[in-house]
Amino acid sequence: MLRVRVIPSLLLRDGGLVKGRQFKHHKYVGDPVNAVKIFNEKEVDELVFLDISATSGGQGPNYELLVDIANEAFMPFGYGGGITSCDEIEKLFKIGIEKVILNTSAYSNPDLIRNASRVFGSQSIVASIDVKTSFLGRSEVYVQNGTRGTKINPLDYARKMQDLGAGEILLCSIDREGTGKGYDLNLLKAVSESVDIPVVAAGGAGKLEDMSKAVSEGGVSAVAAGDMFVFHGKHKAVLITYPSYDELKSLF
Amino acid sequence: MNRTVCTRCVMDTSDEKITFNSVGECSHCQIFDKDSQSMWFPNETGKQKLGKILEQIRKEGEGKEYDCIIGLSGGVDSSYLALKMKDWGLRPLVVHIDVGWNSELAVHNIEQIVKYCGFDLYTDVMDWEEVRDLQVAYLKSGVSNQDVVQDHAIFSSLYHFAVQNGIRYVISGGNMATESVAPHSWHHSAMDSINLRAIHKRFGHKKLQSFKTISFFQYFFYYPFIKKMTTIRPLNYMPYNKKEALEELVRTVGYKEYGRKHGESRFTKFFQNYYLPKKFDYDKRKVHLSSLILSGEITRDCALKELEKPLYDPVELKNDKEYVAKKLKLSVVELDQLIDEPGRSYVEFDNWDRHYALLQKLKNILQKVTNKKIKTYA
Repeated sequence: MLRVRVIPSLLLRDGGLVKGRQFKHHKYVGDPVNAVKIFNEKEVDELVFLDISATSGGQGPNYELLVDIANEAFMPFGYGGGITSCDEIEKLFKIGIEKVILNTSAYSNPDLIRNASRVFGSQSIVASIDVKTSFLGRSEVYVQNGTRGTKINPLDYARKMQDLGAGEILLCSIDREGTGKGYDLNLLKAVSESVDIPVVAAGGAGKLEDMSKAVSEGGVSAVAAGDMFVFHGKHKAVLITYPSYDELKSLF
Repeated sequence: MNRTVCTRCVMDTSDEKITFNSVGECSHCQIFDKDSQSMWFPNETGKQKLGKILEQIRKEGEGKEYDCIIGLSGGVDSSYLALKMKDWGLRPLVVHIDVGWNSELAVHNIEQIVKYCGFDLYTDVMDWEEVRDLQVAYLKSGVSNQDVVQDHAIFSSLYHFAVQNGIRYVISGGNMATESVAPHSWHHSAMDSINLRAIHKRFGHKKLQSFKTISFFQYFFYYPFIKKMTTIRPLNYMPYNKKEALEELVRTVGYKEYGRKHGESRFTKFFQNYYLPKKFDYDKRKVHLSSLILSGEITRDCALKELEKPLYDPVELKNDKEYVAKKLKLSVVELDQLIDEPGRSYVEFDNWDRHYALLQKLKNILQKVTNKKIKTYA
């Protein structure tokens, strides 16, 4: 087992896999069930699925698809998207999902995080924080797939999530997402220093060194990436890849 | 069942159109003998011919980003060809068409090849819900060629891309050495979009929006004559031995071997090793092995021994069947029922045969008038 978890983070929309840039311009990249099967054989330790149509469409989690994914996935996986109640969380755990990821509902309904972590244990409740940084360097937490600003500073918000009982933070830079320019190291460092729970870096990974920097300079305990594991080369050809165990071992 | 088997290859009367000559050699062997004279040059002549073709491709490609296009599935033929293209100094746009059944082996091999060769890759990802709907429609139609959906998508995508990028040379891994035998009675052409649309209209539910088809006119006229697209099959101009090609791929790029032919697509594997033998009594191994016998890669005895092996390992079959059913959103029972129903011929659905017959007539007339041989995709 590696010291640092390297997690492919995959976006779902209406049952298909998509990938975008800065939370926009999403493009279809394939069938999630087949992708999971390939990641299995690549011996990936952990996966994250975020359904970006679940909250905005108002339909909640697509259980049918999640059952198919769970039946196929050998590795633990986390799911986020459209979760609004403890009943739904229970249903997701019953399907075999290891961690539930809350974003919009963590903001609009803090009691949900509090109750869920009490009932199910904080290790299985992840708070997802999407951050946009203005020209002047002021960072703000966004919800609803990065469409709605909250005026809240990410450091305060992360501490609040920890206090409510979240066991982990998935921290994504909206500005970096899908750009391959590297993680927002300042943001990672600031947030990981202000909380005690593990922080997972997301948004911007373009090469393996970005991941080692996120750990050494950003102080995170795990890294997530989408583009890197889904796209190849200058035409952004859809091709599922994952570094070998040895490559990852030498990285951290 | 008692079948007459060819005395030279291993094709038999499970091909209902097969005929035998006085010494018991089958029609496929005779076709091979005839075609190989004009199409297969695994020798010095081939080397020279290929040299000229490559020179022409490179020359026409001067100043362009790419001089040719190749579809890469991750299988041995196209992968080996890609490797050779690097040696030949070609600058292909490599296109992979993802129809939703890629195995890890396939994506691994594609990754290794394009990295090693330094080629640009483009992937065309088919909309899975549409492909699924089409595939279920094909299963319901009960026709023998269930690979039409992916094969049509692959060709169509490749040609669309070529035109888009101003490329007129399509490099294909197709070859006489490993796939010269192709019984027409087993498979109707995957390029027949009239048939595809008829089957989809009858059994499909979703509208085909992103799935691009190639029309009869495009396939036989627009692409070859207007766009001057030419398919080159370099493996026919060199000695090509699958075993040696595989060894070279493993050695140079860390290629992972497929257990079976067409292990790059989970569906093709299931379709060829289960659907076809069960429903139609077609064993595609006979086709592959016969090709290898004719090109001299293996002996007939060796092929007969290979055919004694079971088609599928029972555990593997169970897993694959469950996966295919799940991907197609069918229950295993439903899938079994569809496979158990008697097979149907493609002619039960509208198809291109009458257009094709007309085309052949026109071609013959034109050839007589112009006194020139006309090469089309046919």
